[in-house]
Order: sequence, then structure tokens, then C-alpha cells
Amino acid sequence: MATLAEFLPYILSGTVWTLGLVGGGLAIGFIIGLLMAVGQVYGSEEIKGFVHAYVWFFRSLPLLVLLFLFYWGVFPATGYKLDPLACSIVVLGLRSGAYQSQIFRGAIISLGGTQLLAARALGISEPKAVFHIVLPQALRISMPGWSNEYAIMIKDSAITFALGVLEILTRTRYVVMATHEPLIPYFFAGGLFIVLTYSGTKIVNVVYERTKIPGLVGRM
Amino acid sequence: MADGEVVLKVENLHKSYADIKVLNGVSFEIDRGQIKVICGPSGSGKSTLLRCLNLLTYPDKGRVWLEEQEITGQISDVNKVRQKIGFVFQEFNLFNHLTALKNVSIALEIVKKMKKEEARDLALKELRKVNLGEDAHKYPAELSGGQKQRVAIARALAMNPVIMFYDEPTSALDPHLIGEVLDVMKKLAQEKLTSIVVTHEIGFARSVADEIMFMGGGTILERGRPDELISNAKHEMVRQFFRRMNELYRREGE
Repeated sequence: MATLAEFLPYILSGTVWTLGLVGGGLAIGFIIGLLMAVGQVYGSEEIKGFVHAYVWFFRSLPLLVLLFLFYWGVFPATGYKLDPLACSIVVLGLRSGAYQSQIFRGAIISLGGTQLLAARALGISEPKAVFHIVLPQALRISMPGWSNEYAIMIKDSAITFALGVLEILTRTRYVVMATHEPLIPYFFAGGLFIVLTYSGTKIVNVVYERTKIPGLVGRM
Repeated sequence: MADGEVVLKVENLHKSYADIKVLNGVSFEIDRGQIKVICGPSGSGKSTLLRCLNLLTYPDKGRVWLEEQEITGQISDVNKVRQKIGFVFQEFNLFNHLTALKNVSIALEIVKKMKKEEARDLALKELRKVNLGEDAHKYPAELSGGQKQRVAIARALAMNPVIMFYDEPTSALDPHLIGEVLDVMKKLAQEKLTSIVVTHEIGFARSVADEIMFMGGGTILERGRPDELISNAKHEMVRQFFRRMNELYRREGE
């Protein structure tokens, strides 16, 4: 058992990789999601069609299939050779973008068009009005849904073990193979995921409360 | 500021949605300092008319001039046109995430490119003008309907418009809050701020309007000085309308 205790820090340091996957994936997904949500609500028919197809594609395929498709297929075919970590971050980000776009889209639509109309009546151009008036409110409305996306992303990141990314699960499996002791390492890994999920959603909730608009109740 | 200087000229405006004709040939002009009230049953095209005049919707046919510049047809910058027209909505349409002060100053900053301080000072001045100096730091959800509408008026005034449009500014208010909004509007009217007001507040029309234009079926059915039109309209429909309004607003006794 002494050897197992030595291995636990090795698993623990996988947290950095997991957070890298999640942070990178969420960041890429945030940018893609926001752009696509704006495109889907305010864009031309072509843009709406593109976003619709994109969302449909990334939400239809299992994550593992996407990972293999991009790592073995898309990137090599287009001449890029991404390492497993980079490829995983990109795929998690592309997929999260599809989900996040629908969170943001719902928030934008729930705001209605009246404030945008008032902004345009003041001579504010539509892009500026969306940026200054719609998005600040839509992002806040999105936070509960977004914290859910974070929790899903933490758990989904484990599947990148299939490409050998050195995140928590991959390291745990190495330890199990080396020690032939599955119970404690897997419990330990499970504990790490619980801590990550819980603390992250907690942080988003705190931000949500802090950014509450005075006087507005309910969903706002 | 010469008398008789035309601020807005409208010629034969048409607008349809699908196959419903909402505007069917509207023409009028308004001089600097004039107040025109538009009345008419719902669905008569009043709101659509206002929205066509600041190009929130585009008319299908007809021409509009703002200070002698044609704004219909090949227009260089729609946003420039809209900056010159203050628009007050029935439902206030305040920016919910911004304080009253910021609601007024934001367009000054991002459209007029004013410095933050300068925009803030001007916004505060406008809010004081509508008696809301004390409430500048409140958010819309912390204000009553009457206060919200006054913020909306201040927001429009801050842009220094050449003309104001009010689209049923008191229709969404509780009866006891209507007075404070009308008072502000009357004050602005007395300061000769050119305005077009869509409203059914007969008392307001009587006391400040130079002319009432009665809309029906997408055109101006009848127009005239308030006292003449309200008591002596030629059209039966207009007469009936004002009779009903008079009964409704008799309590005001103006």
C-alpha cells in the first residue's frame, strides 16, 4: 500500500491537465457559442442555416466518435498534426460551442426585442446595441445553464483518456495497472471530479449572485 | 428658429405588412416648435407611422424629409437620422442592466463619443429636468412606471433631438402615474420642443397641441385645432371617438 500512497500525487497532478482541457474547451466553446448565438438570432438566413447545421452535427455525434474523427481523420487529412491534448481541447471546444450557442440563444431570445429597438431608436448601430445592451444581460441570464455546461465538461473531459491525454482518468488507469489495486485509485479520482464539479459550479453561482441586477427578481 | 420652418415633411406614405395595408397615403408637415397629436382607434397605423418616420421600419412608398434632407430613398446613414429623433415608447424600453443615469448616458458615450464625465454630467442634467435627479442611481426595476417613462424621456432628450416622437407614452401606466409623465411632456411642449404625440389623453391634446390628426384606415381622416376637432368633427367616426374619450376623461375637466 505504501506504493499506492506514492502514486496518488501522480493522479492529483492530472487535475492540472483536466482543468486545462476544461478551461480551453469552455473558452473556445464560449467564443464559438456566443458568435453563433448572435448569428442565429440576428444573422441572415445563410448564417442561421450554417449555425443550425453546426449545432445539429456536434450534438448528434458521441464525443468519443468526434475525438477519433478529428484526431485520426480530419486533422491528418487537412495536414495538421495536433498532439492529443491540443486535439482534445479543440474537439471539446467545438462541441461545447454547439451547446453553449443554444444556452446564449435562449437567453437572447428571452430578453425580447424591445431594448434593442430603443437602442436603435437612439441611433446606436445594431452590432453596438447587441454588444452593449443585449449581451451583458444575456450572459447573466445564461449563467445557470452555463454552470451546468461546466459540470458536464469536467466529466466529459475524462473521455480523452482514449487519446492518452494525461488527465485524471488516464493517470488513474496507469496506477491501477501498476499496482493491481483499482478501488482506492478510482475512488480518489472520483473524489477529484466531485471537488472540481462542485467548486466550479459554486464559483459560477457566486458570480451570478454578485452580478444580480438590483430590483429584478426571478430569472433575471 | 424662424417660425414656419418645416422640421419634418411627410408625403404620401404607404406601408403594408403582408397584404394588410397599414398606411395608405399619409401626408403632413410639422413646423419647428409645433406639437401635433395623433389620435385614432387601435390598428389605424399610428405606431407604424412613427416607426416609418425614424426608419425603424421602412415605408413601401412615399417620401420623408427631416430638416429639408430626404431620409427615405438612398440614405447615407440611418443611425444619424435616428439620433435627431427622440423616440419614447409605450413600454418605456429601458435598458434593464443599467442605472437610470447610465440609461441616459450610454448613447452619448457610444454614439456621440462624449467623454464619460461629460456624458454623466449631461445625463444628470436631463434627469433633473424630469425630476429624477435623486433617482439617478436606481435601476429600472427599482422605479415606478411613471419614473421609468420619465427616464425614457430624459434618455431621448439627452441626444438633443430636433423632434420628439411619443408612442402612447402613458398607455402602459397606472392612472395615478399618468399625471407626472404628462406634466413633463407639457413642460417640454411649452419650451417649444417640436413633437408628435400619439395619445388618447384629450386633456393633454387640448392644452398643448397645435393640431390633432385623426387616423383611421391608414390615412389621416380628419385634422384640425383641438377644440374644433374634439367638439365639431365632420366625420361621424371621429365625432363618436371623441365623445367616448370625453366621457372617459370627464374627470379631468380641462
